Amino acid sequence: QTHFLSSLQTKMSRPVQTRRLEGTDKNIWVEFVKLAATYSKVNLGQGFPDFPPPDFLKEAFVKALSEENHMLHQYTRAFGHPPLVKILAQFFGKLLGQELDPMTNVMVTVGAYQALFCCFQAFIEEGDEVIIIEPFFDCYEPMTKMAGGTPVFVPLRPKASKDGKLMSSEDWQLDPAELASKFNERTKAIVLNSPNNPLGKVFSQGELELIADLCVKHDVLCISDEVYEWLVYDGKKHIRIASLPGMWDRTVTIGSAGKTFSATGWKVGWTVGPNRLLQHIRTMHQNSVYHCATVAQEAVAQGFQRELELYGKADSYFVQLPKELQQKRDLLVQSLDAVGMKPIIPEGTYFLVADISKFKSDVPDVPDSDEPYDSRFAKWMVKNKGLAAIPLSAFYSGDNKKKYNHFIRFCFAKEEATLKAANDILQKWKQEKTSP
Amino acid sequence: VEFTKVAADPSIVNLGQGLPDISPPSYVKEELAKAAAVDRLNQYTRGFGHPSLVKALSQVYEKVCGRKIDPLTDILVTVGAYGSLFSTIQALIEEGDEVIIIEPFYDCYEPMVRMAGGKPVFIPLRYKKDGNSASSADWVLDPAELANKFNSKTKAIILNTPNNPIGKVFTREELQVIADLCIKHDTLCISDEVYEWMVYKGNKHIKIATLPGMWERTITIGSAGKTYSVTGWKLGWSIGPQNLIKHLQVVHQNTLYTCPTPLQEALAQAFWIDFKRMDDPDCYFYSLSQELESKRDRMAQLLQEAGLKPVIPDGGYFMIVDVSTLNVDLSDVDEKQPYDYKFVKWMIKSKKLSAIPLSAFCGPETKRQFEKYIRFCFIKKDSTLDAAEVILKNWNKQTA
Repeated sequence: QTHFLSSLQTKMSRPVQTRRLEGTDKNIWVEFVKLAATYSKVNLGQGFPDFPPPDFLKEAFVKALSEENHMLHQYTRAFGHPPLVKILAQFFGKLLGQELDPMTNVMVTVGAYQALFCCFQAFIEEGDEVIIIEPFFDCYEPMTKMAGGTPVFVPLRPKASKDGKLMSSEDWQLDPAELASKFNERTKAIVLNSPNNPLGKVFSQGELELIADLCVKHDVLCISDEVYEWLVYDGKKHIRIASLPGMWDRTVTIGSAGKTFSATGWKVGWTVGPNRLLQHIRTMHQNSVYHCATVAQEAVAQGFQRELELYGKADSYFVQLPKELQQKRDLLVQSLDAVGMKPIIPEGTYFLVADISKFKSDVPDVPDSDEPYDSRFAKWMVKNKGLAAIPLSAFYSGDNKKKYNHFIRFCFAKEEATLKAANDILQKWKQEKTSP
Repeated sequence: VEFTKVAADPSIVNLGQGLPDISPPSYVKEELAKAAAVDRLNQYTRGFGHPSLVKALSQVYEKVCGRKIDPLTDILVTVGAYGSLFSTIQALIEEGDEVIIIEPFYDCYEPMVRMAGGKPVFIPLRYKKDGNSASSADWVLDPAELANKFNSKTKAIILNTPNNPIGKVFTREELQVIADLCIKHDTLCISDEVYEWMVYKGNKHIKIATLPGMWERTITIGSAGKTYSVTGWKLGWSIGPQNLIKHLQVVHQNTLYTCPTPLQEALAQAFWIDFKRMDDPDCYFYSLSQELESKRDRMAQLLQEAGLKPVIPDGGYFMIVDVSTLNVDLSDVDEKQPYDYKFVKWMIKSKKLSAIPLSAFCGPETKRQFEKYIRFCFIKKDSTLDAAEVILKNWNKQTA
């Protein structure tokens, strides 16, 4: 039996994709990761360390694999491998001042990214507004939209810098009145990211209280992305908003093994919160991913066990890593300052943002271009100088992309050799600019 | 979720949840150890799929499908086949869309379709009246009934072959009936083929995407967990034309962005090993199904000797069993649950043997039709099957 098929019939003739994808298809990382892979000699772009995870973590992984019990290659508990949720409950219970049930107050996800996705899907729908503080980790916007929500942006505003001194991420602040004006009866949640990617801002007690008061007043949820919780410098303290009065019951706190243990490729994250919120996150999880890979969870559990025993001690990875990264931060700050790029000194995370205004002559402005200046600059820089960074406009919404368009973000979680190589590129570049 | 809690109790012989208790092949485990030792493999990789993995997948499936598959545009790597189902449904199904689901079905299809705002339209596999052999091949779709389910609102049909739970392997003719309707009504086909390598003698797994007119409208889903007996790796993939896969990629970049790196690298290496011997009976894709066929036959015999009526599967690693022949009276259990749920609970408690009730795999209308069946998983090591044998041999010696 033959089947006559016109070429028209073999193709799908109707539009196939769903409306929930509208406005979410552009992704800066797909583009910039490709550029870095193709052109960069020194990659300070995407946020991942180029040094390995600590030995104790790698050993835990290998140990898990070599065990007689090969069942670690099979499904584990969907909401989190028991040894991992138990240690997370113990660890974060102490930090949050809560008695945590590993089965109901903790859920493991495929990276903090999937934790964020579950939160938006579980809590946000059409008619809901979500307050997002700019600059923001770019996925918050498409995730809000995909859930049918409306993002409402409020910027961190830079205070004028004091006579030539370098700015700190501390100088970028919310205007309390402006923030309050964003809350209304449609506001379902606010997304907090502290320490903040890309600026590196570590929100102070006062700033968190401001946000908490508004959450309580308007009965709003808080999605608290704390993946960089251990990376705070200069003696600063990371404060968990869920530990503030009135906040435990309305906050989901998100963490990441990738950032905690310098193993971004493991994609293990978690949510911590009250059962009344986590139950919906569990439903979302069981209908999207269901299980997370087992072996990495086992290894991360071992990692946390070690850190629990060494908590606060000099040998703790959570003490050593920020110490090391602070030095790297200072190295990069120095390199950038020496050539005339103005870094904003981050209080936390492994990112810093620098003002590239002095280098604008290299990449002429194209007035009616759709693409923000810093994006064109960053692309030019990776192609011509081999140095990869991310334009700050990637972390802003709509019109604000054009406003904050002379900054780029560097990742300094890199070996000294990488940072030295970056310095060489910058020095050479400066020389080329100043020589006739 | 409800029945997997049972897995934690070691005194129960667990033939319920579909996970192997046999070991994955040693080279698979070794490749993971090797991958984890490479520093950069502990950091992020390409979002839509680790380069060496998508390359390996494209090679394997090019050979199987007989067509060129672009590793970067035609493939998406996801967190298990489950993640592929989710990405596909979120990308392509929304309110106003109907999705045809063949019963009995892997239970996640219905909630995923509903969550996307779609409307599931069920059609049952029906037992052929002349069937005496109790094979999965006896369960068929009525072509007229199927045709009736298609209308202008039908966006997709979900096909699962080999089928979980029955183990049916759809024949070329059966697939052609489905394909003709997809083309006629311009619908998509979401083809869940996770058990593609587990087909038993006399049967062939056919990819509906290879039928004329189907590549353009089909997403084919596969699973490392089922291919290599590593369900805990949670890696799966979607393969299809760029104009469909690109929408799945958008969902992926907005849901979890990348899958774990060391697992993907290890999987890629395992695939290269087996790709090189794809014309060889030693290839794991074939040797596993040979191993499973003897387990299938042993399981079937034990069940028959205990007075149960198994449906011999042509593929997959599940077997459904008609328990009505035992006439276990559970009318005093006054829960409103279907018979098979009650039977499984009773069997766990009194026989220390677990299975999954088949009505878990049905839409609301057909629960009555399937409530005399339970599903056993037979991808189990010999000692587990030995323990099951003891229980089944002693079955009739105990009173309920």
